[in-house]
Order: sequence, then C-alpha cells, then structure tokens
Amino acid sequence: MQTTPRFLKILDIFSIILFAVAVVLVFFYAELEAIMGQVQRVFYFHVATAWVGMLGFLVAAIAGVVYLLKHERKWDVVGFAAVEISLVFFFITIVSGSIWARPAWGTWWTWDPRLTTATIVELVYAAYLLLRQGIEDPDRRARFGAVYAILGFISVPLTFLSIRLYDRTIHPVVIGNGGGEGDFDMTTRMMQTFMFSLFTFSVLFATLLWHRIRLGNLAEMVESLRLKITQ
Amino acid sequence: MLLNLILKEGPIETTNYMIAGYAVIFGVMAIYLVSMYLRRRNLQRDLEVLEELENKPQ
Amino acid sequence: MKAERALQASPKASPVGSFLGAVRAIVWKDLAAELRSRELLSSMLVFALLVILIFNFALELDVKARATVTGGVLWVTFAFAGTLGLNRSMATEKDRGCLDGLLLAPVDRSVIYFGKAIGNLVFMFVVEAIVLPIYSILYNVNLFQPGLLLVILLGSVGYVAVGTLLASMAVQTRTRDVLLPILLFPLVIPVLIAAVKASTGILEILPMDQIRPWINLLVVYDIIFTAVAFMLFDYIVEE
Repeated sequence: MQTTPRFLKILDIFSIILFAVAVVLVFFYAELEAIMGQVQRVFYFHVATAWVGMLGFLVAAIAGVVYLLKHERKWDVVGFAAVEISLVFFFITIVSGSIWARPAWGTWWTWDPRLTTATIVELVYAAYLLLRQGIEDPDRRARFGAVYAILGFISVPLTFLSIRLYDRTIHPVVIGNGGGEGDFDMTTRMMQTFMFSLFTFSVLFATLLWHRIRLGNLAEMVESLRLKITQ
Repeated sequence: MLLNLILKEGPIETTNYMIAGYAVIFGVMAIYLVSMYLRRRNLQRDLEVLEELENKPQ
Repeated sequence: MKAERALQASPKASPVGSFLGAVRAIVWKDLAAELRSRELLSSMLVFALLVILIFNFALELDVKARATVTGGVLWVTFAFAGTLGLNRSMATEKDRGCLDGLLLAPVDRSVIYFGKAIGNLVFMFVVEAIVLPIYSILYNVNLFQPGLLLVILLGSVGYVAVGTLLASMAVQTRTRDVLLPILLFPLVIPVLIAAVKASTGILEILPMDQIRPWINLLVVYDIIFTAVAFMLFDYIVEE
C-alpha cells in the first residue's frame, strides 16, 4: 500500500510532461486574441478545469451507483475522492472565470449558465460534505453520500438547461457582445492548444484521482486500525 | 470594445488579469497537491504509531 | 401501530391492489394524525403568511412591479413552507418509532415512499389552497387561473418527490432539520426556475409558446425524479 505502484509513477511523469507542454502552448504557441488581449489565454485552462470538474462529478455518480449495488467500501472511497477533486477544480473554474470576465465583459460576475451552474454544483458538494459529516455510521454515510451524488448528477443538467432557457429570455440574441463565454473566434492554433489542454487535464484528473483514492484507502486503514486498538 | 474594433487599435492591455488568472489556477492546484502530500504524511505517521501499539503487549 | 395492522390486514387479491391499499393506508395514517392534532398544518400556514407579510415590506412594490414578482414570491413561500412540512412529517415518524414499525410490515419499501410523498403533497396542496386566496385578496390579483393551478401542481409534485427522499435522509443524521434545506434547494432549482417563469408568464398573459418550455421542463423533472427517488428510497431505509 505504501509504495507507489510503477504505473502510477509513469502516469505522474506523463502528467508533468503534458502539463509543461500545455503551458508552453498556451503562452507561446496560441496567438494573441485580437480584442481582449492576453487575458484570453486564461480560457484554455479555465475550460480545462471545468472539464475536470465534470469528469469528477460523473465518476462520483457512477461510484455511487456501484456502491449501492455492490456495497464494497472501496467505491465510497472513489466517490469521495472524485467529489473532492471536482470541488477544487470547479472552484478554480469559477474564480478564473470571474477574473477573465472582468476585463473581457466589464463585470466580475456574469450570471452566465455555465458559471452559475458550476456554482450550484459547488453548493451540491457542500451539501454532500455536510451530509456525510452528520453521520456516524460508515455504511450509512457511504450509502447517503452515494444517493446524494446520484441525485445531484441528475439534477445538474436540468439546472443548466433551465438557466440557459432563462438566460435566453432575459438576453435575446444580441449582436456582437458577450455576456457568455467563448465569444471570440478561434484560430487553428488556438483550437489545438484548447484540445491539448483538455487532454492534459484529463490525464491529470486520472493521476490525481488515483493518488486521492490511495490516500482515502490509507485513511480507512488507519481508521479501522484505530478502532481495533481502542476496543 | 466595439470601438476598439472600429478604430483598429489592437487588443486591450490585460496582461495583469492573465497573470492573476494563472496565479489562481496554478496556486490552487499547488495548494491541493501540498494538502494531499501533508495528509498522506500524517496518516503514514499515524499508521506507524498504531502498528507499534498493536504489536506492543497490552 | 394502526398502519402495520392495516397493511397486514388488507387481503387484496392482486399485487397492484395490495400496493395501492398499502399506500392508502400510510397516507390515511398521516392525514388522520394531522386532523387530530393539526400541528403541522397550522405551523406551515402561519409560516407561509409570515413570509408573505415579510415580502410585502421587503419589496415595497407598486401595482405594476408586483405583477412581475408575484410568481417569485409565491414560490419562495411554497418552498420554505414546504421544507417545514417535509421536516415535521419525517421527524414524527422517527420520533414515535413509526418508521421502524412500517419497515417491519411485509410491504415493499416503495410503498412507504409513495405513502409519505403523497401525504406530503396533500399537505402542500392544503397550504397552497389557503395561501392563494389570501394573496389574491391582499394584492387584488386573480390567482385561480387553470394554467397557474397546473404549474403549482407540477411544481409541488417535483418538490415533494425529491423532498420526501431527502427528508428521510436528513432525519437520520445528527443535524436533522437544518440539513434538509441545504440538501434540497440546490437540487430543486430547475423546479423553482421553471415554476416561477411559468407562473409569471401565465399571470402576465404571455403567448403559450413562451410558457410551454417551462411546463415541459416541469413535467420532465417530475417524471425523472419521482422514478429516481422511488428507486433510491430502498437504500435510505435499510437498517
């Protein structure tokens, strides 16, 4: 358990290399955007972190379903790890989105469907954590966590749809300006940088998830040993 | 901004925002990695202590 | 407990018949208990009226502005009063040990879910039935339009479908009552948005094609979440 499996070490190195290349692409390969200037570069990693957030959410929901079906503790560890990573990365999405919005659209916050939905997901996670915190029995905690992760995952797309529909009724088709994201034309090099960033962060997600699952398993081990001794 | 396009003066100067944005992205990721590392170290320490206690005769 | 006896005694021939009979037994149990004590309804009602009162002072609207926020005010009222009802309904189960009794009865868990959900829905309807005329009178607006009533029906169903499941979870935690709104509101946002937009659309007599998407959203949400909640309920009440 303590020694890092070789495949994970390889994954670590692969992630670092990809990340370095992505950074180079973002700052030196992608062109400067014509209107909003340098801040547009934030877009590449901003969307990539949102992508990781969504992956985490998906994994948490799937882990929830599997836990309910199989009742094996390891799936609860996976679910919790996925939620934690998703929470951190959506946070990065929201803050970087806000920083990008300020010079690009003149406001710190746009009630744009994507940013708003990301915030709601963070609230779902906060509720998830509070729910778990209020339960002593580990099995019940895992069960309830799984159920809430599944419910959350199903409601969020509906939430996104309803906000987008709402947004459209408030801001009917406007000529030109933003209020939304991705309101610029991407050149080929920008598109390449964008896709590479997504790929990099997907690999990064897998690496982090594996590490976090190992951490969770270690915590479980310590906890059960502690219980055994204090009896 | 539309005015910019019309006057063709080039993009607005937003480098500071870019730096702030990336500071957050790299910074929070770094903090998270450090947090995982610290938690692992503490747990491993706990594990050692507990294993000692387990093996010690009561 | 009367409910267990009722559940065991119903000698319905078909499985559907006994399922419905069992559900009815649970709904009646709650309604009968409430008719006797009237605790739940009176607190939900007083709360709803207080919310309307607070909004009156908080929003200080002229007649024209009021038309645009009536939908929102109504749904905030229903959402908060609904939370109260959901909490109380599950808490009494837990406290009086009825939940364990119900679980011992030889019925499918989903019977309990539907029984509780329908009971909660009935309570919400009663509160809504009282809030609507009062609001109509206070603000001189006719809220008894069939379109609006449909929206209120659909919205309440979605709210209660998720709320019943979550309340069953919340009541088994240390933090109990406090946790329910935290769990419920993020998940129920589509209902609130759709219900408010549809309600406002109907009150402002907007064209049907602007209102229909919201009603569709409500229907979709109701179907999905009633199905999902009913499937997941088993896992909440395992002992």
